[in-house]
Amino acid sequence: MIEVNRLIKIFEGRDYVVRAVDDVSTRIAKGEVVVIIGPSGSGKSTFLRCLNGLEEFDDGQVIIDGIDIAGSKTNLNAVRREVGMVFQHFNLFPHKTVLENVTLAQRVVRKRKAAEANEKAMALLTKVGIAEKANEYPSRLSGGQQQRVAIARALAMDPKVMLFDEPTSALDPEMVGEVLDVMKQLAREGMTMAVVTHEMGFAREVAHRVLFMDAGKVLEDAPPARFFTAPNEPRAQAFLKQVL
Amino acid sequence: MAFKRQSAQWPWQGLLVVILLGLAIGLWIATKQVHYEWRWARVPQYFAYQEEEPQTAPFAGTVIKISPAGDASQVTIQPESGVQPVTVTVKTATLKVADGAQVSEDDEIGVLRGDWRIGPLTQGLWVTIWISFVSGLIGMIIGLITGLCRISKNLTLRGLAVLYIELIRGTPLLVQIFIFYFFIGTVLHLDRIVAGIGALSLFVGAYTAEIIRAGIQSIPKGQSEAARSLGMSAAETMIHIVLPQAFKRVLPPLAGQFISLIKDSSLVSVIAITDLTKSGREIITSSFATFEIWFTVALLYLVVTSVLSQLLFWLERRFARSD
Ligand SMILES: Nc1ncnc2c1ncn2[C@@H]1O[C@H](COP(=O)(O)OP(=O)(O)O)[C@@H](O)[C@H]1O
Ligand SMILES: [Mg+2]
Repeated sequence: MIEVNRLIKIFEGRDYVVRAVDDVSTRIAKGEVVVIIGPSGSGKSTFLRCLNGLEEFDDGQVIIDGIDIAGSKTNLNAVRREVGMVFQHFNLFPHKTVLENVTLAQRVVRKRKAAEANEKAMALLTKVGIAEKANEYPSRLSGGQQQRVAIARALAMDPKVMLFDEPTSALDPEMVGEVLDVMKQLAREGMTMAVVTHEMGFAREVAHRVLFMDAGKVLEDAPPARFFTAPNEPRAQAFLKQVL
Repeated sequence: MAFKRQSAQWPWQGLLVVILLGLAIGLWIATKQVHYEWRWARVPQYFAYQEEEPQTAPFAGTVIKISPAGDASQVTIQPESGVQPVTVTVKTATLKVADGAQVSEDDEIGVLRGDWRIGPLTQGLWVTIWISFVSGLIGMIIGLITGLCRISKNLTLRGLAVLYIELIRGTPLLVQIFIFYFFIGTVLHLDRIVAGIGALSLFVGAYTAEIIRAGIQSIPKGQSEAARSLGMSAAETMIHIVLPQAFKRVLPPLAGQFISLIKDSSLVSVIAITDLTKSGREIITSSFATFEIWFTVALLYLVVTSVLSQLLFWLERRFARSD
């Protein structure tokens, strides 16, 4: 489903050069859930953002469902329809109601009729347990509720892959569970997912593979059972000691 | 326990009244000093007036009867060589003949008030309002386009936008109006009104562009990233996500810009467009009520701008709904 070959992303400023993603290659199969962990600044977000072209990379290849996203003939907007993304800070559209947040892209991008888009939106809002807030504005919702709306918004495009960038990091602790539950359900339904998170419990329970990133490189790529018990890399060991 | 101290307000209110009163007295003394005679009664006629039609005797004869009818009088004239007397109606206040007087042909008997006419102040106010409105509208469109060019990735568009904005913001509006009228207007054979509106539109456009650019850039990047991640194009993201939010934020400065425009539009009077300011100047040459007319003109600008402020205040509150 996702194939990444020798991906390199460099941020260059007047007085700094950061190799945010440094020669990363990996594959994510259909229906696979991959959790990416690593210290802050290790390039997890940048890696994820390269997968849907939010970040233009310097070298390497990202192939989504057979399409090279940096190809000269590739319509990036068409690729992004198939790749949903959930952000740390939700990024709901504050001037639209919850329902409109979920229907807007369906109407604009997928060209669905209002009735069809509404029906789909209500079904998804029901699925994430927030249908009764359909006509509220996002600012009236708690963080956990907003993040669930954001998940519904991404799912409304019928994506083939879902990317999550620390979806629970901005939440109060008591709201983390409700968002993780939605993600676990998605995983059970066979959604292909790449998840950056610090929730080790989620990684252990749901992930098929864990990638450990540090300084732009993937240092470990292992099933959670092995990663959490016997990591090879000293830096992964040090990281786990800190977070567990 | 913390509580809000209730400080007495009345000494300050009293002070305010005293200061205002002092200003008024100062003004009064100042006008006394220059021996200015106030003629406020002359002002209303410049808003609207009744046309005056002088009435004359149709032939030589004698006034044989004057009978009042309301505030008018009916004057009956008996011709010298004739048969039937004729009745002429004039305003009593303007009556120029007495009963039994001799009149010759075309002598003025008095004045009859005709239809109501719109005075020059009203006309000037109307010109100011519609010129500002049209220029404002065109200026906002120019500003939106320029603002978008200003943040475009294309270097040519960005360069042109910067050049235009810097040119307009770095030169006085008065000079721009002259250049537009005498140079561009002559080359393109523009009507003075078109030249005036053109100059004002370009002026507002440059300032609006900066406001709109700032508004767009004030919307967090996460908003457009979320939209793009859903597959929306750059244009769709702009139209559905960024501009609606930016517009809400720039409404107050945009409104301020428009209110400024109404005042700035007084400068087009230099190319002989009869707006409110020009009307005021014209009236003064015939009425000699210099102070009264300028005060009235100032008041009219003030009324228009405050009505607009109120309107936009109300609009802002409507838009604040989703916050
Ligand atoms: N837009 C940017 N400009 C410059 N440097 C950036 C930018 N985004 C990220 N970086 C740098 O790239 C590195 C990786 O960042 P990021 O992917 O956000 O890490 P993580 O998500 O793992 O915390 C960091 O050193 C960060 O400072
Ligand atoms: Mg991050």
